[in-house]
Amino acid sequence: MDATLIGQSLVSGLGIGCVYGLIGIGFCVIYNASGIVNFAQGAFVMLGGMITHVLLVRGELPYGLAILLAVLIVALLGVAVERLVVRPLWNRNAPMFVMILATLAAQIVIERLTYLAIDDQPKTLPVFTDLPPVMLRGIAVNMQSLWIVAGSLAIVAALALFFKTTRTGKAMRACAINREAAALQGIPVHSMLALAFALSAGLGAVAGIMLTPTQYTAFDIGVPFAISGFIAAIIGGFGRPFGAFLGGLMLGVTQAGAILAFGAGMKTIVALSILLLFLFVRPSGILGPAK
Amino acid sequence: MTSSPNIISRKGPDLRRVFPVPAQPAPRNRLAAAAPWLVAACIVGYALFAGGYPATVVGFALIYAIFVSGLNIFMGLTAQVSFGQSAFAAVGGYASAILTTQYDWGWLPAMVAGIAAALAAAFAIGYPTLRLKGHYLSMATLAIGLIAHEIAVEWESVTMGYLGISGIPPIDIAGYELAGDRAILIMLSLCVAATVFAVSRIRSSRLGRAFAGLAGSEDAARALGIDVARYKLVSFLLAASFASFSGSLFVHVVGYVSPEVFSLHMVILSFTMLYVGGIGTVAGPVIGALVVSALPETFRAFRDYQDLAYGTALILLLIFAPRGLAGLFAALDRKPSSDRGKGGTAP
Repeated sequence: MDATLIGQSLVSGLGIGCVYGLIGIGFCVIYNASGIVNFAQGAFVMLGGMITHVLLVRGELPYGLAILLAVLIVALLGVAVERLVVRPLWNRNAPMFVMILATLAAQIVIERLTYLAIDDQPKTLPVFTDLPPVMLRGIAVNMQSLWIVAGSLAIVAALALFFKTTRTGKAMRACAINREAAALQGIPVHSMLALAFALSAGLGAVAGIMLTPTQYTAFDIGVPFAISGFIAAIIGGFGRPFGAFLGGLMLGVTQAGAILAFGAGMKTIVALSILLLFLFVRPSGILGPAK
Repeated sequence: MTSSPNIISRKGPDLRRVFPVPAQPAPRNRLAAAAPWLVAACIVGYALFAGGYPATVVGFALIYAIFVSGLNIFMGLTAQVSFGQSAFAAVGGYASAILTTQYDWGWLPAMVAGIAAALAAAFAIGYPTLRLKGHYLSMATLAIGLIAHEIAVEWESVTMGYLGISGIPPIDIAGYELAGDRAILIMLSLCVAATVFAVSRIRSSRLGRAFAGLAGSEDAARALGIDVARYKLVSFLLAASFASFSGSLFVHVVGYVSPEVFSLHMVILSFTMLYVGGIGTVAGPVIGALVVSALPETFRAFRDYQDLAYGTALILLLIFAPRGLAGLFAALDRKPSSDRGKGGTAP
């Protein structure tokens, strides 16, 4: 096995790892705001790519506008999930497991609605910039991978800024530390939950849109991506957004290595085994638990 | 009833008072207690009478009833979480399929081997997994279900991958093949009856009260000397063996198995059934399985909408009627309150 091949899969692993990381951050944002693990996270990834495709091909909108609109629509759908599924259960003090089951059911419902509204054919999007791949010591890095890495890093930086400097970001962090104390300080905890869903749905959509040109999207890709994102969040220590991003990168690279070593069929099994390994041996992740 | 506080004595009848078995109050009149069974008997009876397609649908429902009953032991009685029971159904199903088609085993030894394999797998998986709690346990079990599905897809030399295994012989008893709709239906009804009997025995036994104890509060149960880790594992093993049993039945009835049978769809479907019927009750899984299977079949034109309907129904149930039909039957029970003082015990 030569070095370029290893380098090549390292690059593709980092690209997909960024996507897992963004999805993982989505998990953490909702978890921090509410203590809920939203298993419908994958639906937002799928919707990002699908809605952009529809706007681009059927709506004939310019690419940039289509992407922007798609992210906004998915963020709104995130709020809709919060309002229709999570909020009623939350108000009834449903046990955590019921909440998980409900979001998993929401995932299936969204999947099916997409299937009925669009179709079951795989869709793809054009690459963002149609340029030849950059050569780095014999390793071809395609432009879309660069977009994914650069875009993800920019988003992570923007999120860090948002949580550190803005009033809303600080309020969300306060909710993560202690919801009751935050409520006593006058922070509207309920709107923070809605905002968290909007934010993490938007993150999922962006991840889905950036990824689609390199692979494809279809109504049923959500669950595997949700699981990869969850694994990323676990590796990083659940509830730590930046740990999740790091976890995503590690997962992406490990998976790429596994594909190289055992073939593409083993990709999911390796990822799930990593999850189990972490859950059994170090459930608090590489950075330790949040709080 | 003794008044001494011998809570953890060998016979231990008092544990029942300390840990009232959850979600199923003692029925106060016979009709209310019998109502779910009457509904179930009517549906099965109609299918027996009609034969053909309704018999097939009800047959599937009965297989699911066994699977969901197992799930109910782990989730309803013991209040644990598993999204991965489909893995054990897959173990049973594939064991039966492979042993009967490729190694010419009889259906019974194959089924027993399947259950043994599922128990071994559940033991190996349960030991590390059940220490986890909350969303960690949810995700770990979901991962196990998905790994089983992936293995069924990828391990082509044994499972034939997506192609699946066909030509699985039907179950035969004393040389008589159970191949007709009605014969299969009767056999499955007997299996469900045996399952229900087993679950109700487990529920009212010392074991069941220990489950109820750790469902109520693990700390309190531990304080009373209940070995929490061990009972969780026992509950998991029981659930896995019922899952494996239902998997074996499925492949013999259908004659074919593929990974798609044990996908996430099965998980969502079985949870819908559990919640429709009423989690934590003995009759709930049976009623839930029958009602949920029967409803979409009455609207067959909407085949594409099936998963949509299950998902939506599940969300609505979780929000508005978390006790399912059992809550309805309980409401039926509450009205005639003439003989309230009697206070019978749970069936």
